[in-house]
Amino acid sequence: MSDEISEHPDRPIRGQILFAALFLICALVLLAGIEEQTKWLSKKSLFSQPRFWPAIGVGGMVLFTALHFWQLPKKPRTLPRWMREADWFQWAESLFWAFTALSLSLWLGPLRAAPYVGLIATVRLAWLFMHWVDRREFKIWLSVFEWAGWFLAYVVLVPILGYLPMTLLFAPLLTWRIGYRSRLMFWVSIGFALCVVLVFKSFLQVKIPGAAFYEHLPGALRSFFILNF
Amino acid sequence: MDLIYAFLEQIGASSSYLARWDVALALFVGSVGGVLIGAIPGVGPAVAIAILLPATFSMDPIVGLTVLLGIYGSSMYGGSIPAILINTPGTAVNALTTYDGYPMTTRGEARRALSLAYSSSFFGGIFSVICLIFFAPILAKIAPMFGSREIFLAALLGLILVVTAHHKHTLIAAAMACFGIWLNTIGLHTASFSKRYTYDQSWLSGGVNLIVVVLGLFALSQAFTLLQGDDEKVRLTKLKGSFFQGFRELARHPRIAGVSASLGVLMGMIPGVGEFTAQFMSYTYAQKSSKRPEDFGHGSSEGLIAAETANNAVPGAAMIPLLALGIPGEALTAMMLSVFYVHNVIPGPQLFQNDMDFVVALYLALLILNVLVVIFLLIATNQLIKVVKIPNRFLGVCILILSFVGVYSLRNSFTDCILAAAFGIFGFVMKRLQLPVVPIVLGMVLGGIMEVKLRSAMARVKTPLDFIDRPIAAILFVMIILVLILHFRRVWLDHTKRKANEWSTSHASTSFPAILSRRRNFILTERGKKVRGKRKTFSRRSTDKS
Repeated sequence: MSDEISEHPDRPIRGQILFAALFLICALVLLAGIEEQTKWLSKKSLFSQPRFWPAIGVGGMVLFTALHFWQLPKKPRTLPRWMREADWFQWAESLFWAFTALSLSLWLGPLRAAPYVGLIATVRLAWLFMHWVDRREFKIWLSVFEWAGWFLAYVVLVPILGYLPMTLLFAPLLTWRIGYRSRLMFWVSIGFALCVVLVFKSFLQVKIPGAAFYEHLPGALRSFFILNF
Repeated sequence: MDLIYAFLEQIGASSSYLARWDVALALFVGSVGGVLIGAIPGVGPAVAIAILLPATFSMDPIVGLTVLLGIYGSSMYGGSIPAILINTPGTAVNALTTYDGYPMTTRGEARRALSLAYSSSFFGGIFSVICLIFFAPILAKIAPMFGSREIFLAALLGLILVVTAHHKHTLIAAAMACFGIWLNTIGLHTASFSKRYTYDQSWLSGGVNLIVVVLGLFALSQAFTLLQGDDEKVRLTKLKGSFFQGFRELARHPRIAGVSASLGVLMGMIPGVGEFTAQFMSYTYAQKSSKRPEDFGHGSSEGLIAAETANNAVPGAAMIPLLALGIPGEALTAMMLSVFYVHNVIPGPQLFQNDMDFVVALYLALLILNVLVVIFLLIATNQLIKVVKIPNRFLGVCILILSFVGVYSLRNSFTDCILAAAFGIFGFVMKRLQLPVVPIVLGMVLGGIMEVKLRSAMARVKTPLDFIDRPIAAILFVMIILVLILHFRRVWLDHTKRKANEWSTSHASTSFPAILSRRRNFILTERGKKVRGKRKTFSRRSTDKS
């Protein structure tokens, strides 16, 4: 199967359905919680209500993402043979969803149940239209968590080890991790780390607190490091 | 004469803002830094401005804004270098430069192309700043006519234009703009002192910081994209010839340069439109009015002039809605708006009335920046082109380290860093799917403005028609309606065109019963006739009498 789609040659198809479905699910969850998370004040006009702008935002997210989801080129996945052949399964499935939607509407009222019914419909449709390219794309999205993890580890360790030592450690380590093993790149990364600290902390005095590690340094050196590095 | 004296007096008063060593240093750092950032594919002004924003908070407003303006204005000069030499635009707005710049390089005219790009950019930049300096008194008169409802309508128009500008991605762009509006509502609602979408979490009570979102969406997502990707092999060509030839060549095309710069200024002034529309309009104009339209896309000097002049005329003009109304037209000016707010300088009609010297000083800074950038480029291009050789993934490491400075120095908050990382991942996914992120930022900024202005405007409105009973409000309302009608007309035309294409190229069904049916028909009709004819021939007795 090709990654490109014919109707939208300017945009890759892989992951589009998955993204639209995930975004729509999040928007529907937000919509479901709007009554709980915002207030409606009795003596205020519509435009002064605290709920008015969140409703515009979340409502717009739901409406436009649903339309985007609907207009995406879709092709049903190939279901397992027993599912395709068994009429009873398709009947049973349709009845199950209809029953769930009906009971939700009776339980919560049609207006409050709408986000949940939309949520169920989105999950069902996403499952029907997702292909192996979407799964492959999802794995790529997950792989980025590694770099986010590196970033957060750096953030956690700076207040402990100090901005200068941590940056001098972080830059060459990450450079090594992404595959640059030469001595040149090692020194380039060290030089870059040093420049960043000198420019931002020592010269521009950007607000980065002194580290716990600096407390163990002797007298004058301690305050010098806390102020400049 | 009085007007000229007043103008010179204004310039004199404003130049006192700039006659300081820290402003001079900011001008130098902004211009050189902007060119460098633009010349490195994969960084771009948005990433640089996002990282530098918190650092500028501790500076004077004029110093901080000069650095950011410098990066904004000069990055497009630098962006033309990789666009011309290696067919990769340094910034997104230099994409059109590759159409004619790179073919010139392949013909061995790299220096001519670079020289033309610099001179056109310089003309565009200077033209827009001169226009603005002359427009400033008029703006000062018009700006006070904007009350709450006019600013609300202008912000709404900006948001609609941003969404409709994303042709073929309009729906998801609208969803992202709404996402931005919702993000802005998180936290304490100051008018009613009630919490909105905080889920009883204390870290959400203060709301989501715009800079954290911007850093995540632009800087961290770019770092993740670069770290995830591969390095590109770059082969540079040697530059031969003079850099001054471009100025002489530009002087031979005054019409194209003039029209392109005017289009750049016009498009820059309208919120949400920006460089892309300006350069595509001027490129189309240049192609249609050229004596050799067939050369466009194959190394036409006119095409290069049109694209570069138009995109460099935009940054100056984009400052008009920002300064006069406090409405940013794009992500970069939205970031700059936060610098104004941090220093308690509120852009809008009051700024033009009370602090005109500051506004003109900003324009003068832009003027000086353009001169500095051209001098720097004429001297240092041979050395500068080496920056395109920096490996992509190492750039990712650099941006990650610099992003830390941007996010952590804001409030020293680990939560901000987690949020920025989350938005970084979100931005990475959006980049992979080629979906727009700019509407999120503008939704956040314009959503906030719209909420405040609508609330105060509605206090004096009794019937819906009262809302547009003032002339500017009525004009803005008509413009909104016009933009929407034009957009839906384009959508409808695209739809009919796509359907016509589908019908003209639709192939027969490939399902198995259809294949069987077609085969049976063929056998029974065409092939059947042929076979029967053949058999008839063989079975027919010869009538020859030989």
